[in-house]
Amino acid sequence: MKIIQKGFNYSQDGPGNRLVYHMQGCNMHCPWCANPEGISLEGVRMYVEDRDSGRVKEKFSCKEYSVEELVEEVLRSRAMFFEGGGVTFTGGEPTVQFQELKALLERLHLEKIHIAMENNGTNPRLTELLPCIDYLIMDFKHPSEEIHKKITGVSNKTVADNLEKILESGRQIAVRIPLIHGFNDTEEALQGFLAFFEAHSSERMTLEILPYHEYGKEKWEQCRMAYRVEDGYVSEETVKRFEEAFRRAGISVIHT
Amino acid sequence: MGIFEVYKEGEIGKKAEKLFREERSLQRLDGWFLARETAYLNEEELGRLPAEMAAAVKLDKVIDVMPLSISEHAVFAGTQRDAFARTYALINPAFEVETFCGYCDATAVFDDIVPNEEFTRERIAAVKDHMERTPYVRKLKEVYDEYEDYTGEVAFFIEQVTGHVIADFRGALAFGVDAMILSLEKKEKEAQNDKYRVNFAAMKRTLQTAVKLAGRYADLAKELQKSADPGRKAQLALMEQTLRKVPAKGADSLYEAIQSYLILWQVMCLEQAPNPYAFSVGNADRIFEPYRAKDGLSRGEAADLFKHFLVFFNIGDRSWAISQNVLISGRDLAGNDLTCEMSYAIMDAYYEMNFPQPILSVKLHKNTPDELYEYMGKFFFSPGVLTPSLFNDDSIFEILRQGGVEDCDLPDYSVAGCQEPLIMGKDNGNTTNSWLNLAKILELTLHHGKSLITGKKMGPDFTKDMSAEEMLAQIRDKFYEAAAFYIEKMTDAANGASEAISREPVPFLSVFMGGMDSGVDMRDTEEQGTKYNGSGCLIHGLAVVADSFLAIDKLLAERPEQAEKMMEALQADFAGYEDLQDFLLSAPKFGNNIPEVDREAREIAVRISDMVAARKNYLGNSFRPDFATPSTHLLYGYWTGATPEGRKSREMLNYGVDPLYGEAGQGLGFRILSAMQLPYEKFRGGYASHYGIDPKLFTAPTCEERGLQFKRRVLTPTFFNEENRGIAPFYLYVNVTTPEILRAVLANPKKYAPSGVYIMRIHGTFVNFLDLSPAIQQDIIKRLDLNSTRV
Repeated sequence: MKIIQKGFNYSQDGPGNRLVYHMQGCNMHCPWCANPEGISLEGVRMYVEDRDSGRVKEKFSCKEYSVEELVEEVLRSRAMFFEGGGVTFTGGEPTVQFQELKALLERLHLEKIHIAMENNGTNPRLTELLPCIDYLIMDFKHPSEEIHKKITGVSNKTVADNLEKILESGRQIAVRIPLIHGFNDTEEALQGFLAFFEAHSSERMTLEILPYHEYGKEKWEQCRMAYRVEDGYVSEETVKRFEEAFRRAGISVIHT
Repeated sequence: MGIFEVYKEGEIGKKAEKLFREERSLQRLDGWFLARETAYLNEEELGRLPAEMAAAVKLDKVIDVMPLSISEHAVFAGTQRDAFARTYALINPAFEVETFCGYCDATAVFDDIVPNEEFTRERIAAVKDHMERTPYVRKLKEVYDEYEDYTGEVAFFIEQVTGHVIADFRGALAFGVDAMILSLEKKEKEAQNDKYRVNFAAMKRTLQTAVKLAGRYADLAKELQKSADPGRKAQLALMEQTLRKVPAKGADSLYEAIQSYLILWQVMCLEQAPNPYAFSVGNADRIFEPYRAKDGLSRGEAADLFKHFLVFFNIGDRSWAISQNVLISGRDLAGNDLTCEMSYAIMDAYYEMNFPQPILSVKLHKNTPDELYEYMGKFFFSPGVLTPSLFNDDSIFEILRQGGVEDCDLPDYSVAGCQEPLIMGKDNGNTTNSWLNLAKILELTLHHGKSLITGKKMGPDFTKDMSAEEMLAQIRDKFYEAAAFYIEKMTDAANGASEAISREPVPFLSVFMGGMDSGVDMRDTEEQGTKYNGSGCLIHGLAVVADSFLAIDKLLAERPEQAEKMMEALQADFAGYEDLQDFLLSAPKFGNNIPEVDREAREIAVRISDMVAARKNYLGNSFRPDFATPSTHLLYGYWTGATPEGRKSREMLNYGVDPLYGEAGQGLGFRILSAMQLPYEKFRGGYASHYGIDPKLFTAPTCEERGLQFKRRVLTPTFFNEENRGIAPFYLYVNVTTPEILRAVLANPKKYAPSGVYIMRIHGTFVNFLDLSPAIQQDIIKRLDLNSTRV
């Protein structure tokens, strides 16, 4: 399996202390992506400037691991999964490496490891993984199929289908909306989201707004890729307006 | 009258604070000189006696001449001030890394005394000259001269070990030394040969000396009563009465027990003056709890008395008697927790006083109560307050058992110096006897026995006539071959140093180290006087060498044509070879949970430990591998040239078993996963590890709750991690702070440390951060390495 980065993180992508795997490859190409090195399925060369010496060092975005190696690593890490922690798979888009991911999740689930997965909801076989997942995080980027496809390169139809099935099943899900100026911070988009959640809701759903940031911008340059978002920032008022609207619709809005 | 009848409520604690301030105002420490001068002035008489008896008589004469005083703030009589000089390098503002040389001159201490009208240059010179002529110093000089080629730039270093054991005073506290004197008289009469007869007689003489010292203090207390006000008069009367009783007779109260203990400690240190660093109190709570309980003292009352016990361990303006350890808590053989009321009283005294010495260490195990972790939270999360070092009894019991320690002795293990586990009263570990620099040995292997620092030929060429590529391909074999050579030289030299120090017998200490039974001095190199014996070897540069091997592998796999170029780059300290340095730096580094380099570190630790342990000391016992580098990672790094993993010449080596500074940026979880791979069962002599931890990682509202978070998030994964395949890690110290906080403290000490004391930890000891030399202050700041401990 191709892994961009791995490391422990406390309570950001799931509860407690978590071993987070960022996996290589994504079927979307969101221009604001914070991990652009994870978009290519094969991996990319990166050119990173050393802050102390100013010299540019070359590195490859990912490394290859077998399912066995990752299982061993996770089990060895048990003692670090304190306060309800476990493993989180994120990306890139973890479901791009579906077969191996499924095998890995099944092994870890058997070992009673708490598993979280952050994904973009586009994989039509997503529900096959759900029995192994304790904490599901899913992006819902735009309610309009046309705009979604235009900006991310992929239709939102499967996203909506998957989300609908999960919400109707009543299982836990943490939905995240990256709020980007010029993409989905409009009143129209808000109404679209609200309409969707009015039609499909669950008491076990939480929703989190992730306002646009540029923490990953430097990495676009390191990958020698052009960063094309000109002004993606949203105001605090906009974030609050969205959050208030969701709350009024009875949705549990959280911050992690 | 009892102690709490002659002191008003709160008075004992206040007196401890005043006594500490008074001690810290002392700018001269001359007692050790008087002790040495006594040997000089009585040279002829002492020269006629057998060495053991001469040592006893000398100690007796020292006690006769040593000026005594009792401060108006003192609750107990006694001081160890007369055994220490203003020497210890790391808290000496004049100390510079550059000035360290691999030579331990036992007479250099005479340069630490500033001449004045009383102690004139001539007087100092005469005593120094006498000491240079002693069999001890002559032998030591011979050893250094013989091995200077290796020690000068620290392929290894050796020293004669003083201090660094844990005397067992429990019997003396309980029954008094008079009973021991009677027993020794009997043994003297029944002795099978002259050696034992003399030794028992000498030991007896030193115990009589301890009683004499108490008597001198009692006389002084009596004298002082004449001019004292009624309140102080009663206090001095109690002191006098106590000193007439202990240590001659058994103690019946906590006050008497502490007084007895302090007198014995004073004599023990005077016997080895100057600078017997790192004697350890041992398991202090267990020593004193029976007396507290017998007395029915409350925790607060016991803490007040213990505050004065703590003041006793602070000597002069910078607390020069460094690295003396006080341990609390722990478990018994069955795994039952031994935390008691006295454990908390001791912690109360530490927390309220916050003195730079002595070191507090806490022994933990799986069943340590949460209450103890909650209390430790107060230490960890109060800025500038001392933090205990932490030991894992569950692991240490097993390591000691595998090392030949009998089960009945395991609960009595304690720690002397920074982190060396020893059995109280039974174990002479010569813990700091030898020091091995693996990084320098790698340098000498790579460069045909020549130093990159000076170009000097230091040792044999193990890679003669090999091309760079051939040599790098065989670097592991060649390195171990070279290591075997230097380890052999080192242990031979270390045994020479032990033989040198054996010329200065220690009959008093030997009484409390098994000599009552064996009749043998604990420094005897021909007959074992203690139940357990070994010699320490502190091993430096583990991560540097592991990272270097992996960098060489990467070079050979990806750029084999650059083998020669790498050798040139190392000689040029990478100047003009920056691209190659970057390439080497990009190789896997220990501490990031990268299996191949973690395995390499394990392999090196196993093989070097086995090679060290296979070497025998003067009594045929093993050298004990100890991966601790008490700030010597700085000193030895300064004498080590550029290394293949990308480290530049003269930069510090890694600390203990930790990753090299800055090379483990993946957070605490991965650091722990790497550290778990190491063979702790091999670290019979101990090891060192440090976490610099950002206080912001702990979010609970109170210090006590953060103490529990610390247990869950840091200690349990480190110590009590069931995924460990072998023995789990067993030692850790932490500094909970950030570089920004420490820089602010240095820039504005009056604001952040109004008392003038801001405690930090360096290696196994804690120190007043403001007392440290600038080089060590910067090392602490740099080595916090918060990226390696992110949660």
